[in-house]
Amino acid sequence: MTEKKVTMRVFGMTCDDCVRTVTDGLEKQGADVLSISLSNGIAIVKIDDAKISAENLIKAPVFGEESHYKAQLRRVE
Amino acid sequence: MIQEYDLVIIGRGAAAFSAAIRTSEITSNQASIAMIGFGPIGGTCVNVGCVPSKYIIEAAKVVSTQRNPRYPGIKQSDPVVEFGKLMESLRGAVEEERKSKYEDVLKFYPNITMYEGRASIISRDTVKVTSKLGEEDIKGYNFIIATGSSPMIPKIEGLEDTGYLTSDSVWSLNELPGEIGILGGGFVGLEIGQALHRLGSSVRIIKKHDTISRGIEREVGSELIRALENDGISFLIGRDVEKVYQRGDKKIISTRYKGKIEEIEVDEILIASGRKPNVAGLSPENAGIEYSDKGIKVNDDFSTSNPLIYAAGDVVDQKYRLETLSAREGAIIASNIFNHSSKGINLQEVPWAIFTEPQLASVGYTEDEYNRNFGKAVVRTIPLVMVPKARILREDIGLFKIVADEDTGKIVGIHVLAPYAAEFIIEAVIAIKNGYTYNDIIENSHIFPTVAEGIKLTSQSFTRDMTKMSCCVE
Repeated sequence: MTEKKVTMRVFGMTCDDCVRTVTDGLEKQGADVLSISLSNGIAIVKIDDAKISAENLIKAPVFGEESHYKAQLRRVE
Repeated sequence: MIQEYDLVIIGRGAAAFSAAIRTSEITSNQASIAMIGFGPIGGTCVNVGCVPSKYIIEAAKVVSTQRNPRYPGIKQSDPVVEFGKLMESLRGAVEEERKSKYEDVLKFYPNITMYEGRASIISRDTVKVTSKLGEEDIKGYNFIIATGSSPMIPKIEGLEDTGYLTSDSVWSLNELPGEIGILGGGFVGLEIGQALHRLGSSVRIIKKHDTISRGIEREVGSELIRALENDGISFLIGRDVEKVYQRGDKKIISTRYKGKIEEIEVDEILIASGRKPNVAGLSPENAGIEYSDKGIKVNDDFSTSNPLIYAAGDVVDQKYRLETLSAREGAIIASNIFNHSSKGINLQEVPWAIFTEPQLASVGYTEDEYNRNFGKAVVRTIPLVMVPKARILREDIGLFKIVADEDTGKIVGIHVLAPYAAEFIIEAVIAIKNGYTYNDIIENSHIFPTVAEGIKLTSQSFTRDMTKMSCCVE
């Protein structure tokens, strides 16, 4: 198991429901959501790199082409 | 503190705006976007390209129709052209279009910040913007280079001292040149040349080769030259321009023709030798981006050799330089970046047109290209006069050519020289994109009588003798 802390910019969140939807979407991929800020769209999560990579996390269904939400990586440490 | 953006777009023309607006849509206006550029906002198309050229072409058409009425019984008249007023209205139309389609549009996107200045790339995530106010560094997580292109000025002795017009500067004219020599004669030269000729200039197009440009279906290009000659434009083919100089009020173009010096005296010179990508001062190499004098090299998804930086529009090393292509590329790149997709554009499905009269419109492979690549083209060409609507219009110069795959009958190229060709070439685009055969075209009803029907008639000519058919046979 390789634990990584991933900082991502999430676009499209406009309310607390959005934050919940994105949180659920990330958790379904096995991410441990540490924080998601509605004001600046920054999400910080922990992942087990052996289960899902940061690159694949931002392509999760919650950020898919038809989804209202999009994500980009900002930092992986 | 250095400003940081989710997306930095270098350029502010069609590709840049398209990318910025699509990014805003995808991210619910939450992506912060910097757009850096100089000169009039909107790029080539609205300021010095499609918009002013189509304006003057349509105005010149009005003059030509009055001077040369097509139908017996309508008397010829010689309209007075107040060129200064016409050009003033042209510049007004450009300004209005720029304001409504670019400047005003920005109000809807508070997430876009405009930077007035020249950008140079200083590292993989930073650009320097140099403006009258000084220098400022800007950081970005994603970059798109969309700096466009400029007229290519050939190295000819005496050209700079003698002075010349380009497709950038011709719109500032207030007096119609009496005699104009066009060096080159690509798309821009033909369009502006025919318009100025119809407004009253004596136009000579001075070229080395007897083709319009590489990649054009040869017989369609030759027919266009014939149409323009018939309109009254002179083509001086086989000339190498050696130098130009001023003699009194006149400009002298000294050419070599069949081993001898031939001097051509004109009032104005228009350079129409193609376009070059705007990479000067940009320093793409600082971000590891490969480029040449043809433009920035891109992959199928428009990423450059630095995968974090994309390029779109005329600055890209690609077959076509078209406003609509630039705009599509900008939108696709936005999707590739923010939707993590890797879409591209099949250039064989991209149409282009020359807005002369008649218009030349084309999409897909030429016969030579298809034979070279796949070795099995089957083609049919019909003259414009076989199209009933063309006969009603009393137009007799033009043709339709369809290139199809010999084995499958699938259409791979359609090339048209006809009135309104640019308006109906989209049928050809849809046919090629969907893999239609010439039989599929025939099986769709076309409106009679239209010039567009020529595509159906050409399709029918693959299987029938057109001279034995009544006009409405399906």
